Amino acid sequence: MDYSKVLHQTLFGGLAAMGFGVLFNMYRRHLLWCGLAGGLALGVRTIGLQLGWSLEAASFAAALTVGSVVQIFQERIGVSRNILDVAGCIPMVPGLFATKAILGFFALTAPVPKNPDETLIVSVEYFLRVAFTVGAIGTGLAIPSLMLKVLAGKK
Amino acid sequence: MLAMEFGRILMECGASARIVEEYVIRVAEGLGAKRVDLRVGYASLAITVGISDSGITRMRKVGHLGVNQRLDQGLRQLVRRLETEKLSLDVTEAELARLVKETPRHPGWLVDLAVGLACASFSRLLDVDWQAFLPVFGAAAIGQFVRRQLLMRHVNVFIVATVVAFLASFISGLASRWWLSGTVDRAMVSAVLLLVPGVPALNAQYDVMGGHPTLGNARAVWVGTILIFLAIGVWLSQMVLGEGL
Repeated sequence: MDYSKVLHQTLFGGLAAMGFGVLFNMYRRHLLWCGLAGGLALGVRTIGLQLGWSLEAASFAAALTVGSVVQIFQERIGVSRNILDVAGCIPMVPGLFATKAILGFFALTAPVPKNPDETLIVSVEYFLRVAFTVGAIGTGLAIPSLMLKVLAGKK
Repeated sequence: MLAMEFGRILMECGASARIVEEYVIRVAEGLGAKRVDLRVGYASLAITVGISDSGITRMRKVGHLGVNQRLDQGLRQLVRRLETEKLSLDVTEAELARLVKETPRHPGWLVDLAVGLACASFSRLLDVDWQAFLPVFGAAAIGQFVRRQLLMRHVNVFIVATVVAFLASFISGLASRWWLSGTVDRAMVSAVLLLVPGVPALNAQYDVMGGHPTLGNARAVWVGTILIFLAIGVWLSQMVLGEGL
């Protein structure tokens, strides 16, 4: 496994999450936690990718991890749960693929499209990846809180 | 009616339907309602509150859905106080008004720089080379500055998305090309990632899963439209710079 890559992605995932935390008007004392959540998300995802998982599977694992960890620590940090884990998972939302997919669809409608077959396949592939990855993140984040509800209901 | 105000502001802070519902019901019950039925729509909330045998129904318009976590958190704390300290209607109302007025925001320049840093970090995550790091940082910060200015002047969000996407990807593309970056195409896209609506995208899914498919769909359509307008901006700047993906 390429540990320097994992470290690199963790660092910049954390920075990206903190940057977005400022945009979302988070308290300064919560920004560090937000960065840790983002770093954890990207760290887990990168490890998953290096183990040969698909982007969707790795994102799901990462979101599940962040959701669970935030669930455990939320009382100590004093942040509402879905604020921190959503901010942490924002860096995993595949904006590049989304943009590329739409640009690919634009290219298909040009008067004389270049390699239309290939463009179509690639664009649809990007589009599906965006849909499945966002779905994986959302589901991964939702599971820990839903599980907690079930457990709380049993008590 | 106060419960509706809570719901409206929570929604405008970026809360999901489940949270809005939970807190509105807690406020209404905290103030003495026996039964609360709420409908959470994209642009409006409707509530029926039952007190003894009679009930009242009201509707409230919801404004632009943004993200503001300090206010969101303030509201949640106020709801907890309402329950534990049994605040009266007047006190809660005054507290809510104070929260809305006084909850601080980070200074604009700080947000611009933070967004620049976030997008530059994104560029690293997407394997863009170091030569493009500063160009992406600068372009995204300028993009966020322009977005802030345009939104303050109440320009339509979709048009803002295109304008900012064009500007940010153009600056980032030009600067990273000048710095001899080998990944100009991805640097151009990295600089516009500030526009990707991550919170609404995740909320859309939460809402569908949480039993609010109409609201979830409305959010998803909004996200898709923003992405299309964003892509138009990038496409325009690619045409100008002659850079393809």
